[in-house]
Amino acid sequence: MSETATQTRSHNNYTEPAAANDIQQLSMQQALNRALDEVLAQNPKTVIFGEDCGRLGGVFRITDGLQAKHGEDRVFDTPLAESGILGMSVGLAMAGFHPIPEVQFDGFAYPAINQIVCQIARMNYRSRGTLPMPITLRVPSFGGIRAPEHHGESLEALFAHVPGLKVVSPSTPHDAYHLLKYAATRQDPVIFMEPKSRYWQKGPVDFTAAAPGAAAHDDEPTNHGSLTGARVAREGRHLTMVAWGAMVARCLQVAELAAEDGIDVEVLDLRWLKPIDAEALARSVGKTRRAVVVHEAPLTSGLGAEVAQLITQSCFATLKAPVERVTGFDVPYPSGDLEDEYIPNIDRILFGIQRVLEYRRG
Amino acid sequence: MAEISFPLPDLGEGLIEATVLEWLVEPGQQVERNQAIVELETTKSALELPSPQAGKVGRIHGAPGDTINVGEPLIVFEVPDDTAGIVGTVPKDEAPKRRVRLSAVLDED
Repeated sequence: MSETATQTRSHNNYTEPAAANDIQQLSMQQALNRALDEVLAQNPKTVIFGEDCGRLGGVFRITDGLQAKHGEDRVFDTPLAESGILGMSVGLAMAGFHPIPEVQFDGFAYPAINQIVCQIARMNYRSRGTLPMPITLRVPSFGGIRAPEHHGESLEALFAHVPGLKVVSPSTPHDAYHLLKYAATRQDPVIFMEPKSRYWQKGPVDFTAAAPGAAAHDDEPTNHGSLTGARVAREGRHLTMVAWGAMVARCLQVAELAAEDGIDVEVLDLRWLKPIDAEALARSVGKTRRAVVVHEAPLTSGLGAEVAQLITQSCFATLKAPVERVTGFDVPYPSGDLEDEYIPNIDRILFGIQRVLEYRRG
Repeated sequence: MAEISFPLPDLGEGLIEATVLEWLVEPGQQVERNQAIVELETTKSALELPSPQAGKVGRIHGAPGDTINVGEPLIVFEVPDDTAGIVGTVPKDEAPKRRVRLSAVLDED
């Protein structure tokens, strides 16, 4: 790529520090790019790498312009070998670096499962805390962009099941910016699942918002309202929809349609999928007494089951109906042409709500 | 605007280069996908290369008579930022459509 190209593409890097009351309309792609830019500037131990992350700036342009600005030693391309990308992250972390590797598409995480599960997740445990793995693995996740097979998956349950990993998925540009900066400062490995179908929609990013570390170094997502826990995306009183990533926007649409029928739906954006903010679930469903959990991943052993159990644990006595799950089907995540048949659509979610509404005991 | 560079592909089986005969587009021009953009000659044949995508032509590489190696830049397209993803399609924000209506008797106890 020529110099001209580099200059042209570095338009969305930001150098100016956030001023007071600094709220900007950014896409999630821009917000993530800015977060990475700031993390690189703030922590000299941060390195960013992956397939096409360097010169090209990433296939989704999340690392756009960062190599030109921060140098080829800190933002660089790797061979097409995910096991190598994540294996190198282990070594870098052991040597004191804070790697932010990217797996170009979620389906390409499979070749690196050994490094993620057997090394990254366990090294701190194995070394009695002497070799923490401050790795933030960025994974463009979920479907919705009509991509070929392996370019759309929903792997949260797989990652969440592995002790030692934290899993988070933002649904808005604001959360993407703050959660990525937060994840990058953790001593534990974080799987950062970016909803790729939401990269381009703009939303307000409040750069003056209190850092999620209002809870300082508290890793547990119990601090209601901060970025370390779940977020009430819409308040309601009849039913709680629980979602994360790209499904949050869809659930908000459904909530508007339900309102037309007189049903007041609360939407809880879980954000953290490991650990899950059980208190937020209890608080919301304790109020609404009905719950539907929505995810793109297949039904069986999906994270919806975990959410349903957590709700049942805290709200069993007052629940009006069993927790309903509206999910993908128990088939491989399909390629683009079949996406609309697979991803929970508005009518399927409305049916799920209806099943909960009409449930009667006995 | 973002730029997408298209390198010269292998136009046969194991060819390593091609010679530019004539450019059929010029910088600034809007092209459609599959529109012929350049005439090339290889050791096997002469051919017209179709555009791999729609977009505005940013730069072209090689004057008539120049030889370009496979993998080197041939043409650079300028595309709007929001369509600059390389795999997949930017989803459109559409007004939600529904067929299912909700009905419930809510006892507010």
